[in-house]
Amino acid sequence: MKYLLLLLSAIHFLNLMGQPNCNTFEGDCKKACEIATKPAGGQGSRSSQIKFDRALELCPDGLAYAYMQKAVPYLKRGDFITWKQLIDRAVAIDPLGQLGYRGWCRFQFLRDYQAAIDDLQQLEKLMPGNIGYSQNGDYHLKTAMALCYKQLGILDSAILILENHTSAKSYEPWAYEFLHLGVIYLEANKVDQAILALKKQLDANDYLAETYYYLALAYQQKQSDLLYKENMLRAKDFYNDGKMLFDVYTTMVDAIDLTQIESHTNSWTN
Amino acid sequence: MRKFLLLMLPSLFVACSISEQGKQVQESQEVANEYPARVGDLSFDADLDDPNFEVCNNHVFQYYYGGKGLQYKGEKAAIIQHFESLMQGGAIASLVGFVTVRFVVNCKGKTGRFRVQQMDKDYNEASLDSSLVSTIVEKVKALDDWEVKKVRDQSIDYYQYLTFKISNQNILEIMP
Repeated sequence: MKYLLLLLSAIHFLNLMGQPNCNTFEGDCKKACEIATKPAGGQGSRSSQIKFDRALELCPDGLAYAYMQKAVPYLKRGDFITWKQLIDRAVAIDPLGQLGYRGWCRFQFLRDYQAAIDDLQQLEKLMPGNIGYSQNGDYHLKTAMALCYKQLGILDSAILILENHTSAKSYEPWAYEFLHLGVIYLEANKVDQAILALKKQLDANDYLAETYYYLALAYQQKQSDLLYKENMLRAKDFYNDGKMLFDVYTTMVDAIDLTQIESHTNSWTN
Repeated sequence: MRKFLLLMLPSLFVACSISEQGKQVQESQEVANEYPARVGDLSFDADLDDPNFEVCNNHVFQYYYGGKGLQYKGEKAAIIQHFESLMQGGAIASLVGFVTVRFVVNCKGKTGRFRVQQMDKDYNEASLDSSLVSTIVEKVKALDDWEVKKVRDQSIDYYQYLTFKISNQNILEIMP
């Protein structure tokens, strides 16, 4: 039953984010939808942008998908003014389907934490229960919201959201929840809880240098020298094997780089 | 007269149809002219750009092509260190806007065609602190350890951008 609910939830979410079913539109908006969903050159190409314009001429107030898709290349290529103008139109037409996406993008691309929280909270009011996942599929949006609070330094709220999220009956482990929860505990000086959370991350997914790096920092705080060094060295091995937090568009929150690890390991040899 | 009109009708219809097609083609060309070949393309501008900066290939890729994302020697940490003097203090709550600098990294790792976008915290076009903005732009131009990206063993040119979250005096965060 639990898995059925999760499946239904995922289908519901994919319906919100994926290509629209044009049969749900009528008249000009149906034609517009058919135009918008037809392939026409690569993303951001002139022909693709013109295709969305044609669709939006036919259905200017009913096809959020076309605004959202037209906006994507501006987002990825750093023209955030144009992106925002277009995505706002999409949100105005379809808040349920677009608020989570806009909130996620504000977090991922602009680190605009408060604006992202506002969008996600507005979505929660419209859609109590599962508010869905990030566009890249890596995060539940509740985790994204917790990360926004973390980055704003409001650690209590970040912890509360993640603890509630990961202890809910409907919770299904996603990729990085316990890593981030561990880091937040660490920042809140709750070292023992940090170690427990990071170990949970290892049980769930043992493929990130970051988990070992933060575990090492926790053991350093506990003055467990052996475990500190052991975990830091493992972080280095994982990093050198390419096992780390990575996103092709942006640097992820809590991602580390080699210099951070080497600032520890190099100090041992000096 | 009636016969004449009947004979003329198909011609009038064809004429109108051709005129309509012509109008559509004209409109299509007008719309087409609003867009570059690809969103975000930066053409050479003699008033702005260094004439000695050259791209090596006809096509300039995006930074995310090839799946490796931002590629700078020393990674993001090296970029942050480069801007460290501008990142002292400033709470996140004091966000006033964003400065984005877009540019091309050519097949030799050299940069050029810099373009700047400034927006306020509501993402509207804005003029932010001019002294801070010009310092940021000069420091972006001074970043000289960009990795050469390769596609099928061939060095490519690519578009890169850096966005700076700023307060009145400082950089708060650097993206992507």
